[in-house]
Amino acid sequence: MAQIEKFSYDNAIVRNFAYATLIFGAVGMLAGLLAALQLVYPVFNFGTPETTFGRIRPLHTNAAIFAFVGNGIFTGVYYSLQRLLKAPMYSKTLSNIHFWGWQAIILAAAITLPLGITSAHEYAELEWPIDLAIAAIWVVFGINMFGTILKRREEHLYVAIWFYIATWITVTVLHIGNNLELPVNMWKSYPVFAGVQDALVQWWYGHNAVAFFLTTPYLGLMYYYLPKAANRPVYSYKLSIIHFWALIFIYIWAGPHHLLYTSLPDWAQSLGTVFSIMLIAPSWGGMLNGLLTLRGAWDRVRNDPILKFMVVAVTAYGMATFEGPMLSIKSVNAISHFTDWTIGHVHVGTLGWNGFLTFGVLYWLLPRIFQTKLYSVKLANAHFWIGTLGMLFYVIPLYWAGWTQSLMWKQFTPDGFLQYGNFLETVTQILPMYMLRAVGGALYLGGFFVGVYNLIKTVRSGELQKYEPAEAPARAKYVAHKGEHWHRWIERRPVQLLIGSAIVILIGGLVEIFPMLMVDENVPKIASVKPYTPLELEGRDLYIREGCLGCHSQMVRPFRSETERYGEYSKSGEFIYDRPFLWGSKRTGPDLHRLGGKYPDSWHYNHMLDPESMSPNSIMPPYPWMIEDNLDYSQIANKISVLRKLGTPYPEGFEEEAAADLERQAAKIAESLRNDGIEGEELEKKEIVALIAYLQRLGTDIKPIPQAEK
Amino acid sequence: MYKYILEGAGDINWMAIFALVTFFLLFVIVLITTYRTQPSTLNRLANLPLDDRDPLTFETADRHEK
Repeated sequence: MAQIEKFSYDNAIVRNFAYATLIFGAVGMLAGLLAALQLVYPVFNFGTPETTFGRIRPLHTNAAIFAFVGNGIFTGVYYSLQRLLKAPMYSKTLSNIHFWGWQAIILAAAITLPLGITSAHEYAELEWPIDLAIAAIWVVFGINMFGTILKRREEHLYVAIWFYIATWITVTVLHIGNNLELPVNMWKSYPVFAGVQDALVQWWYGHNAVAFFLTTPYLGLMYYYLPKAANRPVYSYKLSIIHFWALIFIYIWAGPHHLLYTSLPDWAQSLGTVFSIMLIAPSWGGMLNGLLTLRGAWDRVRNDPILKFMVVAVTAYGMATFEGPMLSIKSVNAISHFTDWTIGHVHVGTLGWNGFLTFGVLYWLLPRIFQTKLYSVKLANAHFWIGTLGMLFYVIPLYWAGWTQSLMWKQFTPDGFLQYGNFLETVTQILPMYMLRAVGGALYLGGFFVGVYNLIKTVRSGELQKYEPAEAPARAKYVAHKGEHWHRWIERRPVQLLIGSAIVILIGGLVEIFPMLMVDENVPKIASVKPYTPLELEGRDLYIREGCLGCHSQMVRPFRSETERYGEYSKSGEFIYDRPFLWGSKRTGPDLHRLGGKYPDSWHYNHMLDPESMSPNSIMPPYPWMIEDNLDYSQIANKISVLRKLGTPYPEGFEEEAAADLERQAAKIAESLRNDGIEGEELEKKEIVALIAYLQRLGTDIKPIPQAEK
Repeated sequence: MYKYILEGAGDINWMAIFALVTFFLLFVIVLITTYRTQPSTLNRLANLPLDDRDPLTFETADRHEK
C-alpha cells in the first residue's frame, strides 16, 4: 500500500473565478440587453460612438463568451481538476497570474471595443497586443494544468480532463491561426489572409470557438458536475470515450457551414455540411449520456434546482446540436442565413447550455467551498423558472422573426417582382419580435440577479475554506500488463493524449484549409478588380471601426431573390484585396456589396447623419461624429506599406504619394456634396468623405457603369 | 468557376479520401477497443469524480426558509 500523503486543494482561486463569472455575467448580459433595446429603439444608442450598436455588439459577444463563460470554465476546471487528480494546482503563482491576466484582458477588451479598436473577425475582434496577451495567459493556464496533471496522485485521467486538454490545445491552434496579422501600429493590424481565404480561416476559427470554448470544456464540466450533483456515476463511460474522440475529430471540419452559398469553393462548403450532419451522432451521444445519468433519479430533479439547471442545460445542448446540423443543410441555410434564426440558435446554446450549466455548477460549488448550504432553494427555483421563461421569450420570437424576414426577402409577386422591394419593410415587420426578445433577455437577466443575490447571501453565511485539506495515496508506479486496453494506456499519459488530440484536430484543420491556401494563386483574378485607393482604405477602416458588419453583409448569394434586390452575385475574385474580409453574418440592414453607385454621395451623407431622413422608420443608429470629426490619415503610409508586404500590388513608393492621392479624392467628393447643397466647412477633411468613398466603391469593380454616367 | 480552382490547385482528391479513411479508421478503432474494455475498469473510471463523495449532499429544504 502506497503511503498516504496529505495536501490541500486551493479553493481561493476557484472563488476568484466564480466571482468574476458572476460579475462579467452581469456585464455581458446587460450589454446584450442594451443591444436588444437598440434594435427596437435607436435612441438607446445614446448618440455617442462608444455606445452605438456596432461597438456594443462585439462587447456583448466577447463579454458573454470570454468573460462570463471563460471565467465559468476556469471556475469549474480549477475545482474539478484538483479533485480528479488528487493534487493541488501545480503553482499558486501561475493560478494568480492566470486569474489577474485574464481579467486584465477582459478589461482591455471592455476599453478597446467601445473605442472601435477591432480586427473585425467575429469573436476574435481584439487587436494584436491583446491577442499576444491572450496567448501568454493561455500558455500560463496550460502550464498550470499540465503541471498539475504531471504531479497527480490518480493514475487515470477521467474523461472530463480529456475534454479540458482538447480545449486547451485546440484553442491554442485556433487563436494562432486566426490572428496571423501584421501590425500597422499599436492598435491596428491587417490579417495575413485576404478575402475568401480570410473568410475560411475566420469561420474555421469562429465555429471552433463555439466547439472548443463553449462546448468541449462545458462537456468536461458536465461529466464532472452532473455525476456529482446526482451523486451517481455517468451513465456510460464507454459512450463518453466514443463521444470524446468522435466529437473532437468531427467538430473541427464543420466551420465552412457558416459560408454556404458564398464565394467559398463548393467542395469546402460540402465538406462543412457533411461533417456538420455527422456531428449529430457524438453530440447526441453526449447529451443522452448526461440525461441518462439521471436514470432512476428523476424524482430528485423535481426538488433539486441544481439538477433542474443541469437537465435544461443538457437538453438545450441537445436542441442546439440538432438544430446546428439542420442549419448546415444548404436548402435550410438558404432560408436561415443572415436572419435572426441564427441569433435564436446561438442563444439556445449560450443561455441554455452555457448559462444554465454555469448556474448549476455555481449553486453546487459555492456552498461547498464556503462550508455552508445554499441560502435559499426557493430563490434558486425562482431563478430557474424566470431564466427558463426568459429563454423561451428570447428564442421563440427570434425564430419567428428569422422565418418571417427570410420569407419576405424571397417573396415575388405573380409578375416576377420582389413583393417587398424595400428592405426596410422586412425590418419593421419583425420589430414586435425584437421587443419580445428584449423582454426575454430582461427576464433572463432578472433571474440571473436573483441568483447573484442568493449566492451573495450564501457566501456571507459561510466562510471560505481557502485550502481544503485532503489526503490520498502517493501515485504508485503503474506496471502495464499484457493486453491492456489501449485507452487505459493513453489515459495515463497526458502528454500523449495532448499530442493525439492535437493530431486529430490538425488533420481536420489542415485538410480543410490547405487547399484554400494552395488556391492563393488560383482564385480567379478579375482584371478590373484593383486595390483600394488610400481614401477608400481609410473609409473601409472606419466601416470596421464602427462595426458596420454587425448588421450589413457584403455577400450577394446566387439566388434570384438576392440578385434582383442587390445586383450581380459576389465572386471570390472580387475580395482578393479585402483584409479583413467583411462578408458579415447577419442582415439587420441590407447587403452592401453592390452599394457603390446606387445613391448619390449626398444621400450617404444625409443617411449617416440621420438615417430616418432617408429611410423613415429605419432602426439604424445615426453617426453624427463622422460628419464632425476630421479624418486621421496619419497612418496611411504605414497602411499602404503593410498591405504591400502582404501582397496588395501598390506600386513601390506609393506610400509617399498616398496622402496627396487621398486629399485629391476627398476634394472631389466634397465638391460633389457641395453641388448637392451640403454645407459645411472643410468637408473634404471629414471622416464621412472617406466612408462615402468606400461605400461608393463597393462592388463596382465588376459592375457596368450606368448608361447615364457614360 | 469552382472547377477552375480545383484544377488550378492540382490533384486534391486524395485529401477528401484521406479524410474519409482517417475518420472511418479512427471511429472503428475507438468503437472496437472501447467495447473490449473490462466492465470493472469502466466502472472504476466512471466513479473517479465520486471518490471524494462528500457528506454535504443537497437537501431539499434549506435553512433560510425553515
